[in-house]
Amino acid sequence: MKSILRTVVILALLGVILYPLFWVLGSSLKSQPEMLSNAGVIPESFTPGNYPKGWSHLDTSFGRFFLNSTIVSLLVVVGNALSCLLAAFAFARLRFRGRATWFAVMVGTLLLPGHVLIVPQFIVFRQLDLVGGEFPYLPLILPHFLATEAFFVFLMVQFMRGIPRELDEAAKIDGCTTFGVFRNVILPLSRPALVTTAIFSFIWTWNDFFRQLVYVSDLPKYTVPVALRLFIDSQGQSEIGPMFAMSVLSLLPVFLFFLAFQKMLVEGINTSGLKG
Amino acid sequence: MALTTAPAPLHRAAKGPRIEPRGPRREGLAGYLFLTPWLVGLATITAIPMLMSLVLSFTDYDILSDWSELNWVGFDNYQRMFTEDPTFWHAVQVTVLFAVIATPLKLGAALGVALLLNKAVRGVGLYRSLFYLPSLLGGSVALAIVWVSMFSRDGSFNELLSVFGIAGPGWVNDPDYALGTLILLAIWQFGAPMVIFLAGLKQVPVELYEAASVDGAGAFRKFRSITLPILSPVIFFNLVLETIHGFQGFTSAFVISGGTGGPVDSTLMYTLYLYIKGFTDYEMGYASALAWVFLLAVGLLTVVLFSTGRFWVHYGDER
Amino acid sequence: MSGTPRRRLLATAVAAVLLAPLAACGDDGGEAPAVDSTKPVELSIFWWGGDARAKLTEEALALYTKKHPNVTFKKTWQANQGYFDKLATLTAGNDAPDIFQIDDNFLTEYASRNVTLDLTSYQKSNKLDTSKFPESLWKYGVVDGKLAGVAFGENTQGLVFNKTKLAAAGQPLPTTGMTWEAFVDWAAAATTATKVPGTQDPSADYKAFWIWLRQQNKDLYKDKELGFTAQDVTAWFDLWKGARDRKATPTADVIREGNATDITKQLVVTGKALTSWVWVNQLPELQKNTKDELGVVAYPGDPKAQWARAALYFSVYRGSDKKDVAVDVINFLANDPEVGKVLGTDRGLPPNLDIRASVLGTVTDASMKTSIEVENTLGKTFGPSPQVPLKGHSTLRSELIKAAESVQAGKATPAQAAEAFITAAKSAISK
Repeated sequence: MKSILRTVVILALLGVILYPLFWVLGSSLKSQPEMLSNAGVIPESFTPGNYPKGWSHLDTSFGRFFLNSTIVSLLVVVGNALSCLLAAFAFARLRFRGRATWFAVMVGTLLLPGHVLIVPQFIVFRQLDLVGGEFPYLPLILPHFLATEAFFVFLMVQFMRGIPRELDEAAKIDGCTTFGVFRNVILPLSRPALVTTAIFSFIWTWNDFFRQLVYVSDLPKYTVPVALRLFIDSQGQSEIGPMFAMSVLSLLPVFLFFLAFQKMLVEGINTSGLKG
Repeated sequence: MALTTAPAPLHRAAKGPRIEPRGPRREGLAGYLFLTPWLVGLATITAIPMLMSLVLSFTDYDILSDWSELNWVGFDNYQRMFTEDPTFWHAVQVTVLFAVIATPLKLGAALGVALLLNKAVRGVGLYRSLFYLPSLLGGSVALAIVWVSMFSRDGSFNELLSVFGIAGPGWVNDPDYALGTLILLAIWQFGAPMVIFLAGLKQVPVELYEAASVDGAGAFRKFRSITLPILSPVIFFNLVLETIHGFQGFTSAFVISGGTGGPVDSTLMYTLYLYIKGFTDYEMGYASALAWVFLLAVGLLTVVLFSTGRFWVHYGDER
Repeated sequence: MSGTPRRRLLATAVAAVLLAPLAACGDDGGEAPAVDSTKPVELSIFWWGGDARAKLTEEALALYTKKHPNVTFKKTWQANQGYFDKLATLTAGNDAPDIFQIDDNFLTEYASRNVTLDLTSYQKSNKLDTSKFPESLWKYGVVDGKLAGVAFGENTQGLVFNKTKLAAAGQPLPTTGMTWEAFVDWAAAATTATKVPGTQDPSADYKAFWIWLRQQNKDLYKDKELGFTAQDVTAWFDLWKGARDRKATPTADVIREGNATDITKQLVVTGKALTSWVWVNQLPELQKNTKDELGVVAYPGDPKAQWARAALYFSVYRGSDKKDVAVDVINFLANDPEVGKVLGTDRGLPPNLDIRASVLGTVTDASMKTSIEVENTLGKTFGPSPQVPLKGHSTLRSELIKAAESVQAGKATPAQAAEAFITAAKSAISK
């Protein structure tokens, strides 16, 4: 009974929250003049042609943009998960001189508005000779292997600090080295934090427009967010229908990624399992 | 930096009474070993651009001119901000209003839905994903169009209101209401803190609940004495990050106002103003100064949050 | 703000430390390699636009490669959004493309900071041939006496109206040359007859304001100053406040919807007003977005105030090490008849008059034909071009929008808003 009530509440909330997305879906099936005149959800004239039109609208098929975005996003996921986990372990569990200072520096790097860093970062990447070339994504990926996204380091620190220290000590008594504690205690117990990091890394990279715009200059190398904006030229032609169609499609991979990964958040962690 | 006093809990943990089985010296070495990737990233990718922007904030840097044209202007940019730029103060007002209203509401929505979805209901995985969907739109073109369309005079929102006999204004295009739609948009995209709450809830050891049930604790008591304390580091994280995020709120303002902060500057968030100064007015030196003032102000706020955290955040490593 | 030598020195030292290995570029003295028919050259070229423009431009560039097999292109194109952010970032990194597209919003920003190459010497030696250009058109690319960009398309202001709705209500159509007062009367009558506001309120529209100023022998800019006073702005705002009071224009929030520059947001296609203030060459795209038939005339008042505006330009990066080839490419794109056929009217009317004449014969799209005819008719009476907008022009534009919208929303009187606008505009162009 209680669970039915819960389900009803959930469904009602979803109805409200998802309305704009239904609108996007509906708009992806409208013709362009109708898009401007009909503000409702349901299209008057069903125009599924926006999908094939959008897919092959440009010289490069949209499939290629999806592939590019997937490569970049997955590499960022790996980079963030690995490097932030290492740094977080140091901050959360190890004692060393200067830890508090470094931690403050790390939080401090979250605070500077990113727009003043675009030009200096571009210059740094140019100096490192990472801009352009056959694989122009290095400036988008490499920083994530160096734990530069303090958000995730901080996130993991907070999660790790929730793990009872008795577990570390028990492991050490069992003869584990520091790395052993990391490998056998912290790593398995950090799964919720890792899953969260993976989800956000993927989605945020998938949606990131500005940095991808700056570093990728060749149409076949474009990523989904950059390609989506090619439909709308504010002064000239605008293909809103195909743009909506491709926007809907571009939600699918991230949605599926989320659906797959959130499963790992379903089961609670059972610490007793570790000791056995 | 002002933040050195921030992680007080860490200091405390460091001075904690526990005796380690292994010497602290070895751990110090291990600490820096584990920290190496981050330190390399800091030195090359994070710190240099930050320091460059700090230096540039004392110049008249305009992005386009050759670097040899750069002029040192001392504290002029900072002085101008506080004494000659009414738009700066306006942007501060808009931003504070936005952050103060949007942040708690967004966190509340995220925690509420996370608790709702934490219990096993059939199809809970799908529900979670659906609740996250709005956040997937990020700051895309599609979002810009849908939001502006829904909140214009003849948009869906007013259609809904008209059912109740209310004739709504042209929300996004009305200087009195545009910021309100911005706040609504921020709350609507509550997916990120929700997921973090969900992950945090999953970290609560199930045996604690089982033990509490054996002791005859009710749902509310279990929430108060088990869930909240164990969740507190995660709540703290969300509070700090969403506060920073709220003050930095750029995307929604950019999307709704078409990058202008209009109508009549009603959505001119601080970071949007900074972006306009840097990339439209080509006053990147001034924009850099704006950014560093932001860093100091929000940094101070973060320090305050960290120091209150001492009283209500419970860490598993210091119980 | 020219600092004392010592301050300059200090800043330069700081920059040098930060940017040590970045070679300082951009001195005109360095001689670029001459157009050599054997040495392979790759030129980078950057423009914004839709995919139709991309296809045409790529085809045109391929023609150049066909004639000069050693020259190839690294082409980058993207939407308008973010274009100038990226261009600025590339410029800051001394990595700007050899050739880039630019418009009159930003030409002075780039030219006055010496990002663009001065093309005057090429023009004099006829390596860049503008002899077939209308004089006022190429002159609209001259900033501080330097030819900073080559116009690649001409357009002029156009008042686009909804023929279908006006005809259905038995209303007369607007005509070129009607006075502003007559136009407001006409719009008010149209509102009554059709129940749709007769016109978008253009008080936030810099190009309408500009035409109106020119008709009173004022201008938007005069040398390095504003070409108008607070009284002018007040009168302009008052004109439209009167129109709003007579219901000739929509409500403030709808006006704001139409103040966006996007084609798809113009009230004439969203059906929220009967006329929109646009550029003549935008008629075909507007027409694609509505089932109603559209027409176009000049802005109200004396049409002599209109001018041949360069819709956009191509400029050469001053730091490029392939300047001569880059100029040769631009010359080819502007003057080759075959290229002219390929590019068509995508960027506006072709700048070369011979090519323009031959291209116009081949146009089939009805609304494209209309827009060309109107532009050609107006072109006969075009006055001299105004000077290219000053640095800070895009700020001035957004300040005008802000001021006009504050009047429309009832947040300020015309006089107060005018005062605020003048202050902001003066500071925008004086930085």
